[in-house]
Amino acid sequence: MADEVKVDKTLDVKGEICPNPDVRTMTTLEKMEKGQILEVLVDYPLSVERIPRNVENRKHKVLKVEQISGPEHRILIEAKANRE
Amino acid sequence: MNPLIFTGIAVGFAFGFALQRGRFCMNSAFRDIIVMKDLTLLKAVGVAILVAMIGFAVMDKTGVITISPVPFFWGALMVGGFVFGIGMVLAGGCASGITYRLGEGMIGAMMAVLGLTLVGLMTSKGILHPAVTALREATMITLADGSAPTLANLAGVPFWLMALIIAGVVLIVWAAVTKRNGESTETGEKVSVYQSVFKKGWGWKAAGIVIGVINIIAFYSSASAGRMYPLGICGGYWSTTNTLITGVNQMNWLSVTLLSTILGAFVAAKIAGEFKFRAPAPKTLVQTFFGGVIMGFGAAMGGGCNITHILSGVPQLALSSILGGAFLVFGCWFMAYFLFIRPMRNLD
Repeated sequence: MADEVKVDKTLDVKGEICPNPDVRTMTTLEKMEKGQILEVLVDYPLSVERIPRNVENRKHKVLKVEQISGPEHRILIEAKANRE
Repeated sequence: MNPLIFTGIAVGFAFGFALQRGRFCMNSAFRDIIVMKDLTLLKAVGVAILVAMIGFAVMDKTGVITISPVPFFWGALMVGGFVFGIGMVLAGGCASGITYRLGEGMIGAMMAVLGLTLVGLMTSKGILHPAVTALREATMITLADGSAPTLANLAGVPFWLMALIIAGVVLIVWAAVTKRNGESTETGEKVSVYQSVFKKGWGWKAAGIVIGVINIIAFYSSASAGRMYPLGICGGYWSTTNTLITGVNQMNWLSVTLLSTILGAFVAAKIAGEFKFRAPAPKTLVQTFFGGVIMGFGAAMGGGCNITHILSGVPQLALSSILGGAFLVFGCWFMAYFLFIRPMRNLD
């Protein structure tokens, strides 16, 4: 994956129950520096749909949502730390 | 055993399929009003209730069904609803949510179903049952003619008329609010019908309409089999388990429908490529089991889960289901505050 961006942090929430993948994605992003890249590994279908939607609402940027296999997805997010 | 209980196979299969495709879970719907400020699933629940309300009105007017509200034992409804709401946050899903995720292969949901079945049986039939009887008897209110109160009979209006008025008013207000907020309709990339039905998650409108229509058919199917009530869930787990343990056949329309619901969700997940056995951390498994335990107690105490009360009882305008449903939402918010909102606030 040569053209891939550098991932600063990986969050593996596979198997987790609702809404832990969402909440942990949000709390992790809040702690990251502006411009850092978070990789989320998630296999809960509702969160795969919901995380990109809610992450954008909170001013972070979704770079990529890709299916790995079956319900497993990989979401790449660029953190835009809102804090001063 | 009435052979018409097997019409529940078709109803349940469609219900499970729609639950999985629509990600229809009331725990997410109510919790995300305050946690994620995301109203997508709440809108799906609203549409499903409105569609069912209109369908029940027509069936009541034509005499196909008789409106059958859950009795108004207010103390048990408040306690049961609140407790159930707390439990579903811990379990990571309401009764319909954990049922469709059982079909998706999520072990966390299986643990919740185990807890719900075990303690639900203990409460509905076993050693905890005296508490249920005592609280229900102490707080039971019936109308002069012995019937359970609904918004229709309290106002002295026929059910079908009241239901159509309420559904009409809600639709008009909803349309006005949507217009004022300038909400865009659902958009997205163009996909084939096959893709949008079998591969991608359904939008809230489609999910709400389909589940509402299934509940209308469910009421007819269930009534034909001698059970005058639309969809439910928890009672199906209990009668199935009772049959397995005692060897005495206690299968009814609801248990047949429930088993078929799990199958429908499994097939939907399989086609969409979303089926896989997967488990969270052991700590979470303990939490979901405990959540299921609390849900089981709440449902048995309050006369039903979120499907019995909110999806099936509210469209019948039952005062019991409106009260129980409201306390279920309060319980959900109470627990969500401690589990998600406070930890998210403590970041800074």
